[in-house]
Amino acid sequence: MKICLMGFGAVGQGVARVISLKNDHLNDKYGLDVKIVAVTDTSGAAIAEEGLDPDLLLEIKSKTGKVCDYPEKGISDLDALSVLDQVEYDCLVEVTPTNIQDGEPAKTLMIKAMADKKDVVTSNKGPLALSFSDLIKNAQENDVQFKFEASVGGAMPIINFAQQTLPGCDIESIFGILNGTTNFILSRMTREGSSYENTLQEAQQMGIAETDPTQDVEGIDAACKTVILANSILGMDVTLKDVELDGISRITSESIALAKKEGFLIKLIAEVSSHTLKVSPRLVREGSPYSVEGTLNMATLKTDLADEVTVVGRGAGSIETAAAILSDLVNIWKSK
Amino acid sequence: MRTNLVLELLDVPGQLVGVLEPIGGLGANIVTVIHQRDVKTERGTVPVQITLEGDEENLDLVLKELERLGISVIEIDGVLRKEKITTILIGNIVDRDVKDTMDQINQLQGVRVADLDLKMAEEPLESSAKIIVEADYGKRDEVMDKIHKIAENKDFLVISEV
Repeated sequence: MKICLMGFGAVGQGVARVISLKNDHLNDKYGLDVKIVAVTDTSGAAIAEEGLDPDLLLEIKSKTGKVCDYPEKGISDLDALSVLDQVEYDCLVEVTPTNIQDGEPAKTLMIKAMADKKDVVTSNKGPLALSFSDLIKNAQENDVQFKFEASVGGAMPIINFAQQTLPGCDIESIFGILNGTTNFILSRMTREGSSYENTLQEAQQMGIAETDPTQDVEGIDAACKTVILANSILGMDVTLKDVELDGISRITSESIALAKKEGFLIKLIAEVSSHTLKVSPRLVREGSPYSVEGTLNMATLKTDLADEVTVVGRGAGSIETAAAILSDLVNIWKSK
Repeated sequence: MRTNLVLELLDVPGQLVGVLEPIGGLGANIVTVIHQRDVKTERGTVPVQITLEGDEENLDLVLKELERLGISVIEIDGVLRKEKITTILIGNIVDRDVKDTMDQINQLQGVRVADLDLKMAEEPLESSAKIIVEADYGKRDEVMDKIHKIAENKDFLVISEV
């Protein structure tokens, strides 16, 4: 399977690493040989019909920060769209940074790949939260596969889990913790009794929260995932503006203490059902499936036949997210 | 073992049969049914008194099935069923007339604020209140709607139970 890897940040590098780690195993088990025939980042691209060496790619990236420095195969200032035209490939792996304004450049790249009859795997929440139905329509019209397990909950299986493991069940609602940064901050505030500001700073120093934490703490990231779950699992047709939103920046140590006295924890919960799409701080019972700590994500799916089913997993991280992308690639391969 | 239940049904045809059939199917015997369509609650629903006979397990099954069907059982053996609703509010709780906040909730029929716990913060805008409301069974949505309305007017953040 020849893949075009668009974006070589944390997730893109994770993909290169898991391919390097797992290719022999995939070959033995499924007869799958994943070849990276093109990689792009902001500097340009590296292209090789016979496949690039993932370890060398990672080495070059960590040395110079640019994939276009790849020996002989690197090309500077080549944009991603032209790369798709120049390369023979089977599947686009789209992992450019999330853009929640217009979903670009990811959206254009994915639609172009679909039009060229290529399968698409992405971890990118932006285009999925903004233009889900558009992308699905393009995939169907062109009869290609479109998978995005990594876009929600990182390594925590949820989309494929609902679609493949529980195919006979109707999923009535999903309640979940879909953002690791806010879960870390709230868990820490609960444990230490510390203020929101101090805990956020600590999370920033540890690299868990970004310098501009708005997307996480105001619930926007979780809202994007809410939209993806509503569309892909509950069969709705909604976008980001349909989600009611309250973040965690108003949560105080006093409110957490009050909750604790009653045996509750405060968590940023995404609620997905046909009548409610909401991300807000909620009270959850200590010791319930919602009480996961640190950067963990979780989701409880309420089904008609199997009652409640809960999944838990690591919601972020380079290798963890790449693991979800690899599952999508293997699933596409197995379906051929 | 006998149990007296009071259910609330909508005043539309077919409601009573829809309740009695599943009860029969779960191994409980129906001893009496008192159904007076001209007596209505303030919400326009009809209270129906049903006496059942059966094993404890069968009666439990009946209650679970009624819950699943979305039928509110408001009284069991003469005792009104209550539910406890815990909410935390964050905002300028005291200055935005905390008494009025309580009064507005208490004005709802069958609803009472059972506990209020206030914690002041350094910033008055960020004080927190834990409110425990005791409400007749099936009133949760009505209570939460009210709290959300108050919060919207007074700019409070509402943290409700999942």
